[in-house]
Amino acid sequence: MKRIPKPVFFIVAILILLFSYTAIFGVKYYVGDIEHTVLKGISDIRWGIDIQGGVEATFIPADGRDATDEQLDSAKAIIETRMISSGITDYEIYTDSGTDSIIVRFPWKAGEKDFNAEKAISEISSTAKLTFRPGNSYETTETGANGTPVYKTPTGDTTEVLMDGSVVKKAYASPDPENVDQYVVNLEFDDEGTKLFADITKKYEKQIVSIWMDDEMLSYPTINEQITGGKAQISGNFDVDSATTLANQIQGGALPFTLETKSHGEISPTLGENSLVAMAYAGVIAIILIALFMIVMYRIPGLVAVIALFGQIGLSIAAISRYFTVFNSFTMTLPGIAGIILSIGMGVDANIITAERIKDEFKTGKTLDGAIDRGTKNSLSAIIDGNMTVVIVSIILLLVFGSTNILSFLFGASTTGTIYSFGYTLLMGVISNFIMGVFLSRVMLKSLGGFKPVRRKWLFGGAKKNG
Amino acid sequence: MAENKVLNFTKASKVFFGISLTIFLIGIICNFIFGTQLDIQFSGGSYLSYSYVGELDKNDLDDLIQVNTKMQVTTTVTSDVLSNTSNKSAYTIKVQFAGTKAITTEEQKSLTEALKKAYPDANFKVMESSAIESTMGFKFLMKCLTAVAIASALMVLYVTIRFRRIGGLSAGVMALVALFHDIAMIYFMYVIFQMPIDSNFIAVVLMILGYSLNDTIVIYDRVREERRKLGSKTDIGYVFNYSATKVIKRTICTSITTLIAIGTVLVISIVFNISSVTSFALPMMIGVVSGCYSSICIAGPLWVIWQNHKKKLEKAR
Repeated sequence: MKRIPKPVFFIVAILILLFSYTAIFGVKYYVGDIEHTVLKGISDIRWGIDIQGGVEATFIPADGRDATDEQLDSAKAIIETRMISSGITDYEIYTDSGTDSIIVRFPWKAGEKDFNAEKAISEISSTAKLTFRPGNSYETTETGANGTPVYKTPTGDTTEVLMDGSVVKKAYASPDPENVDQYVVNLEFDDEGTKLFADITKKYEKQIVSIWMDDEMLSYPTINEQITGGKAQISGNFDVDSATTLANQIQGGALPFTLETKSHGEISPTLGENSLVAMAYAGVIAIILIALFMIVMYRIPGLVAVIALFGQIGLSIAAISRYFTVFNSFTMTLPGIAGIILSIGMGVDANIITAERIKDEFKTGKTLDGAIDRGTKNSLSAIIDGNMTVVIVSIILLLVFGSTNILSFLFGASTTGTIYSFGYTLLMGVISNFIMGVFLSRVMLKSLGGFKPVRRKWLFGGAKKNG
Repeated sequence: MAENKVLNFTKASKVFFGISLTIFLIGIICNFIFGTQLDIQFSGGSYLSYSYVGELDKNDLDDLIQVNTKMQVTTTVTSDVLSNTSNKSAYTIKVQFAGTKAITTEEQKSLTEALKKAYPDANFKVMESSAIESTMGFKFLMKCLTAVAIASALMVLYVTIRFRRIGGLSAGVMALVALFHDIAMIYFMYVIFQMPIDSNFIAVVLMILGYSLNDTIVIYDRVREERRKLGSKTDIGYVFNYSATKVIKRTICTSITTLIAIGTVLVISIVFNISSVTSFALPMMIGVVSGCYSSICIAGPLWVIWQNHKKKLEKAR
């Protein structure tokens, strides 16, 4: 057998434990009261509303109207604007063009105790009102999600409404013909709007006319000259994103349908908080029990299995907490936890299979080195076949329930949901298992096999008298 | 020596098949009596649950709720031990609306307000609410089942290719039989305990699919290896029994560790009264037991019967 040097065990074990520690607790430092996150830990995981509590609602166009994709996108833009302006910044929103529905989920904010979900749902789905008003006086300023100020509540001259969004036929973003890298928002009015806008631009030439959605000011362009053609351009400091957002919001104000709440649900923050605490207890107790069982049953291979188990838990958590920033943001739900339990079970299983094999080899009278060598080799095919089939399951689930949605021709487009969460954690878990439960476990085992103080057959599962 | 004793699984296979079929039969009978309950996630419908403190008369409470809703309601009150304060005990009332229609946010709001008004001291708060239109959920259920079917077909293909030395297709098909056995077990547990089929059911089925198949593969792997060592002349039943005896300790140990983990989750969820987790951990435990049982006691003996049958056919020719 090719011996693996003794220090390798300690190096690998320390690296695994160090990694798992940082993956579980994260690495943070404080400058004054501001927290800086270097590496993300469990507390940075975004928990699904089935665990943390929160609100879920599905909206559809009222009266069974068929909406176009653009109209759905505008409706989505409105809802997003409204959620941000009512302080909901952590949310998921999807449109499903197959069923014309818009699905919104948002978890409770930390420390949220009393939140009126019914009110929030009816507020974000109420018909958006886009208005054009003279001047740009406002009452309050709030800081929005990305740090930009949000101006609210018109005052003074601005309380007057010049026209509303229903006359806007189309709003879209396009590159600014005069300035490279800048974008403009184009507006097209219907016949009534063309007339109204011509009057407005005449009266307020060289003055500001602001555009509002509900209670929030979206934009406050200055009228350069009278516009009679029914087409207008808003230029300013727009990049492609901000121009598209504004265009969607204006278009949304001209939404030809009202939204209807098709389904809604909420889980209270107290219930959610209980679940998280309970999950934490369950996790810690289960790990301790498994560790005891493994070490009592299998001694050295059991110890190695426990270290690998920590590594696998660390990797699984890292894959969902954005510890590695290459992974997309991910929401952890109950089925996601099922995926982790299954993959950890398989990880422990890999170690049990190996340990049992080593025991078998001792029975045929092998030496310590021989038994470890044959045992690890013979157990490999079972572990790989078992894990590969689970990889197949998880990939199918990701393809069916993810954004690729290979069954869309049968069931229509849909959104990523809880089952996707299961497939994702399972795939990540099995990959971690290959790294920790299969590769690194073997390295540690072989390295310990050459370590004098533990070179006793009984410590590796042989009969005690031979030790 | 006990070490060399070979457990005779094939001889006892009639008993195993009998046990499974009996449970299936009970399940089917229960299915006819109780029917299958679909959770409102799939069937559509609404429920609301409130927390409150202090003793309230349940009849009065029921009447008040019924007066304030258009649909027929049924209510259940459970005591919430963890939220008890020194002088007042806490309760949760679940209001289930009949039918498959979703209640509107306005209906929910007016009911909540009526409760708060009638019992200002009881501190009524919405714990959970769910209102779902029927068309959305059913499509999702069908999609899940299709995904399970595709995944199963691919797994059989994988097993057929990897285990071609021990009659690949028969191994693949029998692994699938074991999987259906486990899914049926979980399904019948839902029926017997009258738990509604919800998205947790789907998650549990998917998990057990992976778990049971892994168990079956570990055994096949050993059969593949022992058959090579013992030679193809050896009786197939003996090869299987010998291999199964060798892996049974591993199967039991792995199941114990998995059961420890899920059992901990179950106990904690019962203590904390988190029904969504309880209804997820309990069927999962049953699935784990069924998964390790079906691999050794169902898939293996069936595979032996198939192989022996094939041999007989070859001889007859």
